[in-house]
Amino acid sequence: MSAAVQVTDDSFKDEVLESDVPVLVDFWAPWCGPCRMVAPVVDEISQQYEGQIKVVKLNTDENPNVASQYGIRSIPTLMIFKGGERVDMVVGAVPKATLSNTIEKYLG
Amino acid sequence: MSATPQDTKDKKTLEAMRRFSERYAQQTDTYFCVDPSVTAVVIEGLARHKDELGSPLCPCRHYEDKEAEVKNSYWNCPCVPMRERKECHCMLFITPDNEFAGEQQEIEIEEIVKVRESMGG
Repeated sequence: MSAAVQVTDDSFKDEVLESDVPVLVDFWAPWCGPCRMVAPVVDEISQQYEGQIKVVKLNTDENPNVASQYGIRSIPTLMIFKGGERVDMVVGAVPKATLSNTIEKYLG
Repeated sequence: MSATPQDTKDKKTLEAMRRFSERYAQQTDTYFCVDPSVTAVVIEGLARHKDELGSPLCPCRHYEDKEAEVKNSYWNCPCVPMRERKECHCMLFITPDNEFAGEQQEIEIEEIVKVRESMGG
C-alpha cells in the first residue's frame, strides 16, 4: 500500500509504545475506500517529518487486538503516540494540513 | 479455465452490490468518488461481507464481533447515518457539495475487477 512500515499486534509495543520519537499510526483496512485517499497523505507526512516522527501502518483486519484495545471504530483512524501513550487522533480521510497541524503539537 | 462455483457466487454478489450502489446513488442524489478506485474497493468490501456474513456490513469500520454487528444492522449498507443524513464515511455515496464528489453514478464491473487484481487477489 505504501512505503510506511507495517506494524502488527506482536510488534506494536516495540515499534510504537517504546519509540523514542512520536509515532503516527495509520489504522487501515484493505477494502476501505478513504484509506486509499489518506495513504499518500501519510506518506508525504512521513517524508516531511523524517527523523522527527515515526510513521507506521496497522491493518485492522489482520491485527484486531491492537485495533480493539484502542477502540478503533471508523477507519481510517490516525493516532499519535508519544512516550507510550495515545495523545491525539484524527478520523477519516483528512487533508494534509489537518494532520500536520495535529503532529506539530507533539514535536520537540 | 472454467469458473469454480465459488468464483461464480463471488461475481454474482459483486455484480449485485455494484447495481445496488448505482441505484442507491441515483435515488439519493449522491455521486461516486472522483477516484474510481475508492468506489471499487468499497463495493468489493461490501460484496465480501455479504458473502461471508450474509449482509453488506460497512468495510470502513473495525468491529469486535462482525456477526453481532450484522444482527444489530446499524452498519449494514446503506447504514443508518446514510439513510438519515446522507453521511457515508466510506466515501461510496458522496453529496455533490463535497470536494471529493465526482460526476458519476455508474461504475463498470471491469473497474472493480481491475482494482481487485491490483491488490493481489
